[in-house]
Amino acid sequence: MTLTQRDELRAYAHHATDARVNVELETEGMTLNIGPQHPATHGTLRIVAKLDGEQVIAAEPITGYMHRGYEKLVEVRTWPQINTLVNRIDWVGSFSNEVPFILACEQLMEIEAPPRARAIRTILFELARIANLVLFAGDMALQLGAQTAAMYAFRDREYVLNLLESASGGRFHPNFDRIGGLKDDLPKGWIDDTRAALVKIREFCDEMDLLVTGNEIFEARTRGVGIIPADVALSYGLSGANLRASGIDWDLRRDGGISGLAYDDVDWKVWTHPDGDCFARYWVRLQEIREAAHITEQLLDKLPAGPIMAKVPRIVKVPAGEAYVETENPLGAMGFYVISAGDLGPFRVKIRTPSFNNISVASWVMRGVYVPDIVTILASLYFILGDIDR
Amino acid sequence: MGLVESGKVPKPLTSLLSTSRKFSLWMYQWGLACCAIEMAAAFMPRYDVMRLGVIPLPASPRQSDLLCVSGTLTDKMAPPLRRLYEQMPDPKYVISMGSCANCGGPYWDSYSVTKGCDQIVPVDIYVPGCPPRPETLLEAIVLLQEMIQNEDMGERWRGDPIVLR
Amino acid sequence: MSSADAPAPEATAVEPEAEPTDDIRSGLLATLELELGEAIVESHLKPGIGLWVRVTTEAWNDAAVAARDKLGCTFFDFLSGIDWMPSPFGRYEVADIDTEVSLAEKVAAARAADRISGYAGGDTRFQVFARVVNVTAHHDVVLKCDVPEDTLTVPTWSRTYAGSNWHEREACEMFGIRFDGHPDLRKLYLPGEFEGHPLRKDFPLLSRVVKPWPGIVDVEPMPGEVAADGDAAEEEVDG
Repeated sequence: MTLTQRDELRAYAHHATDARVNVELETEGMTLNIGPQHPATHGTLRIVAKLDGEQVIAAEPITGYMHRGYEKLVEVRTWPQINTLVNRIDWVGSFSNEVPFILACEQLMEIEAPPRARAIRTILFELARIANLVLFAGDMALQLGAQTAAMYAFRDREYVLNLLESASGGRFHPNFDRIGGLKDDLPKGWIDDTRAALVKIREFCDEMDLLVTGNEIFEARTRGVGIIPADVALSYGLSGANLRASGIDWDLRRDGGISGLAYDDVDWKVWTHPDGDCFARYWVRLQEIREAAHITEQLLDKLPAGPIMAKVPRIVKVPAGEAYVETENPLGAMGFYVISAGDLGPFRVKIRTPSFNNISVASWVMRGVYVPDIVTILASLYFILGDIDR
Repeated sequence: MGLVESGKVPKPLTSLLSTSRKFSLWMYQWGLACCAIEMAAAFMPRYDVMRLGVIPLPASPRQSDLLCVSGTLTDKMAPPLRRLYEQMPDPKYVISMGSCANCGGPYWDSYSVTKGCDQIVPVDIYVPGCPPRPETLLEAIVLLQEMIQNEDMGERWRGDPIVLR
Repeated sequence: MSSADAPAPEATAVEPEAEPTDDIRSGLLATLELELGEAIVESHLKPGIGLWVRVTTEAWNDAAVAARDKLGCTFFDFLSGIDWMPSPFGRYEVADIDTEVSLAEKVAAARAADRISGYAGGDTRFQVFARVVNVTAHHDVVLKCDVPEDTLTVPTWSRTYAGSNWHEREACEMFGIRFDGHPDLRKLYLPGEFEGHPLRKDFPLLSRVVKPWPGIVDVEPMPGEVAADGDAAEEEVDG
C-alpha cells in the first residue's frame, strides 16, 4: 500500500459518516441489536447498530453487563485482599493486573523490590502478555471464520498457563505479587521449562504468519477497515497496541520510568504500524508476542540471585498519600490511582483500565462501515469485558 | 412420545433413550467472565469436551439441552439469562460454573452482582472453583450424564411442571 | 527519564539536605501558571513522581485546553471523582444488624466529621480529577477541581478530549456529579432502575451490613494451638 493510498483511506475515515453512507438509494433504516449474549462479542457487550442497507449509520456499544463494582469493593478490603480481587479485571492476562497496583503501593510505602523479584515479576508479566495476546491472535482469526487458529491458540496457551501454575499455583489467577516482592521463588527446573515453552510460542507466531497473516480473505477483511487516525486515538485515550497501530511510538515499558520492573536491563523494540486499521492492530500484537518471548529469554539468561522479598511489616499499612502507577498491560495502559488515608485499606482507588478507553472509540470508528466489519473492528480493538466494566 | 406421556415406558426403552440423550448434549455456553475462558479451554484440543458427547456450539438456545452459566452474573444480565433459558426446549439442564455463578464468589458484597444464578434458573450441577479447572467442568458433565442415565423420563413428565420462581 | 534526572551520588554526598528538584515538572507548572493565572488554586509537586494541580471549577475546561495545547498532553488518560467524606461504615467490621446505631445516624455522624483532603488540597466533599499525558515528551499532569456542593456541576471536557465522554458518564453515575455541556449523561453501567450513586461513601454495601466479612477476625485458633498460645500469637501479629 502506497503512502497516498493510506492518506486517502485516512481522509475517508475522517468523513466516514456522510461520505460512505449510501444516499442515492432511499432505503429504510433498521436497528440491529448484537448481544449482550452473542458469539461475535466474546463477552457480554451489546452493540446497537442503526443500519441503512448494509451500512452502519451509527453504532453504540452498551456496557455494564459485567459491572461488578471493583472501585467500591476495594474500599472495604485490606491491601493484601485487593490483590486477589484485581486479578480478575483482565482475566486473560491476570498477573499483569496485580503489578500496577503493587507498584503504586510500593511507591507510597517507599520500598523497592529486590532485583531478583523485579526480574521474576517482569518475566511473569511478559508471560501473562503472551497468554493474553496468543488468545487475541486466535480469537481475531476465529471472528473472521478461521477456527483452526483458535484451536492452535488454546493449545499453545496451555504451555504458558502451565508455567504460571507451576510458579504460583494458580493456572488462571496467580495472585503471586506482593508489596515488596513476590510470594515465592521459582520452582526447580522452571527456567528450562520456560525456554521450551517459548519455543512453542515462537512456532505459534510462525504458524499464524503462515495461516492468517498473508491470507487473502483475512487481508481483504482487515486492510483499510476501521481506520483510527493518531489524533483521534490520542483524544479517546487509546493505549497499547491500538495506539501503536496508529503510528504513535509510546510504550510504558520503555517510557513509563517504572522502577519496579526490569525492562531497562534488556534489549527490545517497540513495534508500531502507520496504518491504524484492523490489520495493523493484529500485526502489532503478533509482533509483541515475539518481543515478549525475546524479553523473557534475555531475563532468564541473567536472572540475578538474592532475596525475593524486601522487608515489609506483617500487617501492611500504606502511608497516607496519593500515587498513580500505570504499566503497559497486554490490553494497553492500565493504572491504579491509589488514595490512602494510612489505614488498613485504601480510601479510594481509581482503576484506569485500557479496554474502557479502547472501546469508547467504537462508536466513532463504526460509522459508515459494513455490518461484517463490526465484528472485525471489535475483534481488532480487543477488549476483555471485565476490563471495560470493572 | 405417547409412551412417555402415558408414563408406561418399558425399562429397556427408557435406558436406551437416556443413553442416547446423555451422549448428545448440546451445550449452550453462557460465558460471562473468567470462567468462560476455562470453559472454552475445555472445548479446545487439550481437554476436548466433545469426546464426552457434548457439542459445544449450538447456533441458538432453541437447539440446546444444556446451559452452562460460567462467570459473574450481574443484575443487568439476569433478565437475558432467564429469557434465553425459557427458550430452551425441555428436558433441559443447567450447570453453574464457578464461584460467582454459584453464590457471588469474590463479589459477594457487590451492589451489582446477583448472588448465585440459581436465583434465576434452576441449577442441576454446581462446579466450584475460581475459576474451576477444565477438568472440573468435565467431571461435572460426567456427573450430569450419570444423572440423566438414572432419570425416569416418565417421572419427569408426570411430576409437577417446572415452575420458575 | 528517571535515570537522567537523578543527581549523581557525589552531589548527594556533598549536600545531603538539598531538596530534590524536578525541572521538567516545575516547567510544566510554570507554563500552566502563565496560562491560567489566578485559576490555579493550589499545586503539589513530588519530584520524580508527579504533579498535581487544582484549578477553580469555572476554569476546569480551560485547564484541559491549556494542558492539551500548551503542554502537549494530547493523550487523555482518565477522569473520575472522589468523595472525601469519611466512610460512615468504616470497613464493616461489625454487623450493623447487631448494633443500635442506625445507618442514617452513622451517615449523619460522618457528614459532620472532619474531611481529609489529598494532594493540592480541596474545599468540597466531591472533587473531580483527571490525568493527561504527553506521549512524545513523556510527561503528565493530574488536574483536580472542586465540585460545588449546591449544584454538583462542573464544566464538561467532552469537547476538549473526546474520550472523556464515557468517563464523565461513569462519574455522573457513580457520584452524581453533573457535567455541564455533556451531550448525553445516560447511565453507563447499572440497570435503569438502580437508585443511588454507588461510589459515594454513604452508599452502604447491604451484603456487608447484614453479615461482616468472616475473615476480618480470626476467632478460631489454628489447629494444634492451645488457648494459652492465643496471646503469644496475637503479639506476633502486632509486631
